[in-house]
Amino acid sequence: MSLLSSARAAVRRTSDDPPPAPAASPDHDELTIVPARHPWRWVAAAAVLVLVAQFLHGLATNPGWDWSTFFGYFFEESVMGALLITLELTFAGAVLGFAGGIVLAPMRLSSNPVLKSVSWTFIWVFRSVPLIVQLLFWANLGYLYDRLQIGVPFGPGFLHVETSSLVSAFGAALLGLALHEAAYAAEIVRAGILSVDQRQMEAAAALGIPRLRQFRRIVLPQAMRAILPNAANELVNLLKSTSVVYVLAIGELFYQVQVVYGRNGRVVPLLMVATVWYVILTALLSVLQHYTERHFGKGYRR
Amino acid sequence: MIEIRGVHKSFGSLAVLRDVSLSVPAGSVTVILGPSGSGKSTLLRCINHLEKVDRGTVRVDGELIGYRQDGDKLHELPERLVLKQRAGIGFVFQTFNLFPHMTALENVNEARGPRDALQLLDRVGLAGKAHAYPRQLSGGQQQRVAIARALALDPKLVLFDEPTSALDPELVGEVLDVMRDLARAGTTMVVVTHEIGFAREVADTVVFLDGGRIVEQGPPAEVLDNPQHERTRAFLSKVLV
Repeated sequence: MSLLSSARAAVRRTSDDPPPAPAASPDHDELTIVPARHPWRWVAAAAVLVLVAQFLHGLATNPGWDWSTFFGYFFEESVMGALLITLELTFAGAVLGFAGGIVLAPMRLSSNPVLKSVSWTFIWVFRSVPLIVQLLFWANLGYLYDRLQIGVPFGPGFLHVETSSLVSAFGAALLGLALHEAAYAAEIVRAGILSVDQRQMEAAAALGIPRLRQFRRIVLPQAMRAILPNAANELVNLLKSTSVVYVLAIGELFYQVQVVYGRNGRVVPLLMVATVWYVILTALLSVLQHYTERHFGKGYRR
Repeated sequence: MIEIRGVHKSFGSLAVLRDVSLSVPAGSVTVILGPSGSGKSTLLRCINHLEKVDRGTVRVDGELIGYRQDGDKLHELPERLVLKQRAGIGFVFQTFNLFPHMTALENVNEARGPRDALQLLDRVGLAGKAHAYPRQLSGGQQQRVAIARALALDPKLVLFDEPTSALDPELVGEVLDVMRDLARAGTTMVVVTHEIGFAREVADTVVFLDGGRIVEQGPPAEVLDNPQHERTRAFLSKVLV
């Protein structure tokens, strides 16, 4: 009790005291706010700028970069042709891969055990085998099956072709890239589908919307938001993975610059030709990604 | 309009509905009350086959829902036919479940029903928000769009699953107003709700469900003001405060 009353007395005393006057007190409106200074930010920025300047200086002055050779080959005809093949492989691989993924992902999510396990096995196998190994397998398909035929399963065949004439080097490359890509795309699409709220399907079902239209109109557009960043990643990866098909002696970008530097010995500038093209193509893909994401982001704040 | 006969439903070992029978005449409003876990929502979801019944039958307008009777056997209908049946039954969810990538108008149009979408939005007082996305609307507005969407198929009846439970208190009124208008226009409605005031004013029949059984049913004046059953009284005393 005595403790309480003394505390109360203390409070009373302080509240009675006038507030301590500030030293030289100008009007409160006239006080200016001075932001905190960050001197170390300036030091760090300066240090990094010096390193960047050093690197740029090296690019410009080191004769090893051999910029005249670089520019000589950058738009050279054989390089342009090779660039086109790289683009063809990327485009076809992406289209076939994602077409496969859009089929495989719902299969893996279906309640049919056969569809489910086939999809699971496909993804397991084609994610496990390194792309380069797979490409060499397809290129050597003729060693396993010299003829391919269409007919009754385990019965007589109607139509047959020589394997080597059907599966060219380019065909083998495309097959390998598409299968490899389909396995990864399937998982990306599946992640997208799983990200859609279950209640959306329920709302669609309550409206009596047919199954296929539910998937196309309700599920897929919402899944796209989760699919796109991963798909763009995968596309960039695919663009670079096309360089692996050089093992099949297909004249894509990386193979072509190897051919050129094998002839003239200018390794670094020619690798730079390929590098800069890959960087430019990736930048274009990033722009495409930005606008596609914006399209599918409608109705969302973020 | 709705004939529910001896419906049982369990989730695993948990019996959610036990021998529920209920008939709802055309043009009437039935409000289902009951504590949480009493099977209210499950019963409602059985009416449009969002949940499959384990035993018993649900008929809407004489048509068996979700099954085809063949002698003494009930054959489950293929999904295509179930979806066709659902198109005649409107359903309004607690969480609205609007399609977030579509505007209000597109949401109502997505039902692809015979009714004009803009007119329906006007009916729920949202013609001015036709081109807004769900995220740009308040909860009450979203639920009104969801009601318009449920009406687009010109359904024989509309089921409401706690339509105001996810709303801020000051938004409940606007949704109940729309439902009141629907009831006045003679729509057959089954409503799961905790809004006792709405039940008292609008319902023709109040059904009290507890432990998966119908404990009591009758006009609101009887069930709400003069409940016969001890459990109904206990529940109402908690809800009415």
